[in-house]
Amino acid sequence: MLSRRKPFKKIVNQLVELKDTSELMMDLAYSSLLLNSRELAEEVRELEDHVDDLHTDFELLVLSSGFKPEESKDFLGLIRLGIVTEKIADAAAEIAEVVLRGLEPHPVLRLMIEEAEETVTRVRVSRKSSLTGRTLRECRLPEETGMWVLAVRRGKKWLRPKPSTVIRSGDVLIASGYAEGEEDLMKLAVGESRLPNKSA
Amino acid sequence: MGDIEKVKYKPVSVRDLLVEMKDLSELMIDLAYSAALFHSKELAEEVLELEKRVDTLTYILDMNAMLAARDAGDAESLAGVAKVAAATDKISDAAADIATIVLREIGVHPIVREAFEKVEERLTRVEVKSNSILVKKKLGKLELAAKIGVDVIAIRRGKKWIINPSEEKKILEGDVIIARGAPTGVEELKGLAEGTIQELEE
Repeated sequence: MLSRRKPFKKIVNQLVELKDTSELMMDLAYSSLLLNSRELAEEVRELEDHVDDLHTDFELLVLSSGFKPEESKDFLGLIRLGIVTEKIADAAAEIAEVVLRGLEPHPVLRLMIEEAEETVTRVRVSRKSSLTGRTLRECRLPEETGMWVLAVRRGKKWLRPKPSTVIRSGDVLIASGYAEGEEDLMKLAVGESRLPNKSA
Repeated sequence: MGDIEKVKYKPVSVRDLLVEMKDLSELMIDLAYSAALFHSKELAEEVLELEKRVDTLTYILDMNAMLAARDAGDAESLAGVAKVAAATDKISDAAADIATIVLREIGVHPIVREAFEKVEERLTRVEVKSNSILVKKKLGKLELAAKIGVDVIAIRRGKKWIINPSEEKKILEGDVIIARGAPTGVEELKGLAEGTIQELEE
């Protein structure tokens, strides 16, 4: 495996993080627009700075990995992939900027917002919550609460939710859904109510 | 480089245009990465085709937005709409950049494959053969997401793309299915489409 070589391992990790973060930003940016949420838009802007740093580190790693002249084409491909993720992050930030500028939403955008009838909420998962230690698939939040998890913030890291993502205590879930679901999700996260027991 | 299409004004809902552009650009990112991952020039070509479509949609959206502005207030708020459309176009351009890496044979370091092995959801492209049990079945009936954990994100039928196909869409012989899912599900879909697997377990 290539990644046994130390610089390569770092490059792989960095590329995975760049890709995941840029796609997460895309999700959050559109959501901020559809839901007219300044809070989400702010997150996108913060992530943009983070991606800039990641991208610079990535390029330095690639350039200092000591590749041979005959490998340079492959490494050019790597550099370009990095540029693409940065470009996606920029585009996401531009979408978020529209929300942050507070331009009076055009009837078109307002229509999208109203039609969505959704809210965005953030909840912190407490230690006694029944969500702790379960995967998102097991939590069945859309079925239980009508809320979809858009992103998970763990410390300083942002995770793009996957069905197999295990929720830990202290995670902050950013979710969207109908306003009625907000309270249900909140109760589950703080441990006031519990998920039904696993049954066949 | 092919001919650049002349874009004529068509009255289309700006909202519908934005939604289609968003769906297309997200699909293109998935497709472009898989083209790089599988060294598939075909997929890369498909991304470039979609990119042309997004370009066209951007023009039509701009035209509709311009006609919709009647005063300064309109212009201010439509500027936001145009900005979002431009950003979406930029995302599709980014996807096209990946496709170009593949088509120009710049090469993608084998490291990329390793990086993508850490990404749980895989992308795949399968062609539906005549003896496949998928033929003439509605997506809603097949319930591929529930049964094998695979999401059909697009179907290419001849030159036509069906993006985010509805439950009512039937799969036809010769369709090219682009799907995303866990590695095992993706393998199962391949078998189903090629006719080597003849039943879909409950």
